[in-house]
Amino acid sequence: MTTEVTPTSIKARRNWSFLFALTLVGLLILLCVALSIATPNFATGNNISNLLRQGSMIAILAIGQTFVIITAGIDLSVGAIVGFSTVIVALLIQSGVPVWVAIIITLVVGLLIGFFHAFGIVKMGLPPFIITLATLTSLRGIGLLITNGSTINITDAGFNQFSRESFLGVPNLFWMVVLVAVPAFIFLHLSKWGRYLYAVGSNPEAARLSGVSVPKMIYIAYGLSAMCAAFVGVMLAARLGVGNATQGEGWELQAIASSVIGGTSLFGAVGSIHGPLIGAFILATISNGANLLNVNSFWQRIITGALIIIIVFFDQLRRRNR
Amino acid sequence: MTDLSSGPAPADRHNAAAIPAEDIILELRDLEKRYGHIQALKRSTLRFRRGEVHAIVGENGAGKSTLIKLLTGVIRRSGGTIVWNGQEVELATPNEAIAHGINAVHQEVVLCRHLSVAANIFLGDENTKWGLLQRRDMTRAAQKILDDMGFSLPADALLGTLTIGQQQLVATARASLRGTKFIIFDEPTAYLTRQEAAQLFALIRRLKAEGVTIVYISHRMEEVFELADRVSVLRDGTHVGTRNIDETNDAELVALMINRTLDQIYHKEQIPLGATLLETRKLSGKGFADVSIAVRAGEIVGLYGLIGAGRSEFALSIFGRNPRTAGEILWKGQPANIRNERSAIELGIALAPESRRDQGLNLNLPIGLNINLPVYDRINRGLLIDRAQEKRRADDQIRNLAIKTPSRRSLASSMSGGNQQKIVIGKWLNHGAEVFIFDEPTVGVDVGTKAEIYRLFATLLRNGAGIILISSYLPEVYELADTLHVFREGHLVGSQGYRERSHEDILAEAIGV
Repeated sequence: MTTEVTPTSIKARRNWSFLFALTLVGLLILLCVALSIATPNFATGNNISNLLRQGSMIAILAIGQTFVIITAGIDLSVGAIVGFSTVIVALLIQSGVPVWVAIIITLVVGLLIGFFHAFGIVKMGLPPFIITLATLTSLRGIGLLITNGSTINITDAGFNQFSRESFLGVPNLFWMVVLVAVPAFIFLHLSKWGRYLYAVGSNPEAARLSGVSVPKMIYIAYGLSAMCAAFVGVMLAARLGVGNATQGEGWELQAIASSVIGGTSLFGAVGSIHGPLIGAFILATISNGANLLNVNSFWQRIITGALIIIIVFFDQLRRRNR
Repeated sequence: MTDLSSGPAPADRHNAAAIPAEDIILELRDLEKRYGHIQALKRSTLRFRRGEVHAIVGENGAGKSTLIKLLTGVIRRSGGTIVWNGQEVELATPNEAIAHGINAVHQEVVLCRHLSVAANIFLGDENTKWGLLQRRDMTRAAQKILDDMGFSLPADALLGTLTIGQQQLVATARASLRGTKFIIFDEPTAYLTRQEAAQLFALIRRLKAEGVTIVYISHRMEEVFELADRVSVLRDGTHVGTRNIDETNDAELVALMINRTLDQIYHKEQIPLGATLLETRKLSGKGFADVSIAVRAGEIVGLYGLIGAGRSEFALSIFGRNPRTAGEILWKGQPANIRNERSAIELGIALAPESRRDQGLNLNLPIGLNINLPVYDRINRGLLIDRAQEKRRADDQIRNLAIKTPSRRSLASSMSGGNQQKIVIGKWLNHGAEVFIFDEPTVGVDVGTKAEIYRLFATLLRNGAGIILISSYLPEVYELADTLHVFREGHLVGSQGYRERSHEDILAEAIGV
């Protein structure tokens, strides 16, 4: 009468999950190989550097987003926070604040925005979708109000230069991904906080009855997501040399897409750091390749949409087998 | 697996030959229902006569809910045949059941709070003209139905504005429209006032007079004797007997409900009792009032009562999950300030909650993570988790409790009910608590695992822990508890030592007859 789980079926399952990670890397490599053959302009140092710069900002947003999605939440505000942060950091630098102080203040502002989201969820009982949708629109409004709708030029040469330079042949912006991803990996996979995040996403009541402070984990998840977005705002301001509240339009959806392509489950409790990173660079490669091949940019959007459906469908199949 | 819990079912005194075939509206032959590892209903044969009130009694978990779900097409049987009016039927979907004229009034109201009473009564069967709802016609029709049934309820009010009892009456009206031949009532009076109950009984008698068969499920013996023509008893998922109501009495029914010899299962060691660990003094909160109990080292304190009697609410309050409104909690003689779950856990109190799936486990996470969840604060090296210790702790519990899993990395959801319960227990053994609260620890667990869990209790007690054992399964608390408290309607109505009084007395106390 009992149908016990046999060790072989477990092993088979783990191979599946391993295969999925491999498939993503494989897909990325396949894309690169195909593009190298299709166009001589792809596999040049210049283009690869460019691709890494393009992908790095969405990658960092996707890491922050993943923390939130693991708790079975969603953060729609990250694109707006990026735009808002470019304004904050530009204003601060232009008013003569040292660059490093300006960056720290911007990150703290991001953190506070995230805490506000958590406050809305924990204390006011608002759904994550709603509270972050609300800040998505209001933050852009506040940013436009502060700047009166104008663009602020950043005249600090060092700040602007940083985003164009490379270190050890790799663009500085990509090093920023490493700077975020390594602590994020330690946090999610090697520390107790990571375990608590999964527990909250899986079953908040069981987590609570095991002594996990659920509200605290919500504050941490949304705080980190918003801080990652503020960090990306600083990166973008450096890259463009301007602060403008309308920047980063639609980036929240790209971040969510990267995370989901990377195997994060919107139902919570499933996700990693490396998955969303690969997801972000798959999207960046597609967009980069499409540009090189002169594919109509409208097609890029269609391809991205189709890709999300296909990858997540296969991921669901894999999960159903568990 | 050998089944220790039930011997051969006692012979049915009223076999099929006693009822003329044309009188039988519904016959269940060797009906079975399995959920994976759990056998919720075991080869039961029941016959229902046209126009009778047929009561079904049994303890929680005896299979009553399963039976209702099978009859209303919510779940499909795993074996056996269903014969409706002399014809074999499938009852595969709720619509099929309704088409035959079978419907049920559930214990919890399953209607739409934001729609009007009339809209609820006609939900799924709306009166339309040219595709448009005929609201006024429906309200008028619904009002007539309610008036005819003797329920004084406004048909145009929103359902959510009514009391739970009134909502229950709306559900009854709705069911009577659909269940034109066969209506099942599941604990219908649980939320009704005395007056509402009287209205309901009048309706049931009228339906019966119209030839409708009524299945009446209740814990309340006095209602069974007032309404029913016949009564069937379920125990451990098996039909153990059917009696004509005028040929039986409380004592016989109660004996049928709980009769068993289970010395092999209930592992009870004589362990000397130590100092008092936990004490509550006149503790009150939502769902319970003035509860005073004490737990000593080496002692099992049983809390018995029907579901909803306040036992779980009391336990959650001790654990800091629910606020308390009055009274105090003492920990080893000192007043304890339990503000939340964390402070209870830090004192050394552990809770294995009532619902493993909803409260006890993080199902889609690995077993190892579940076992270590309460101790992650303690197994760090600097900022990082001590992975070797994390692994060792999980493997230790898996080995000690004989959790049948290939790896600590397997998901908790892949385990059977018994193994899931072991994971919950392993979590708290790993944490090392001194007072363990077990809320219905053996629900949905097979007999073999039950025995293992009870032996585990003995191990905990020998190590100086105290146990609060909450159960609505009387034999369990009766055979295991050193002190047994009985809850009814949020109050302690009786307390006694080990096996001091008979099953029948205790059950009577809990039901209130």
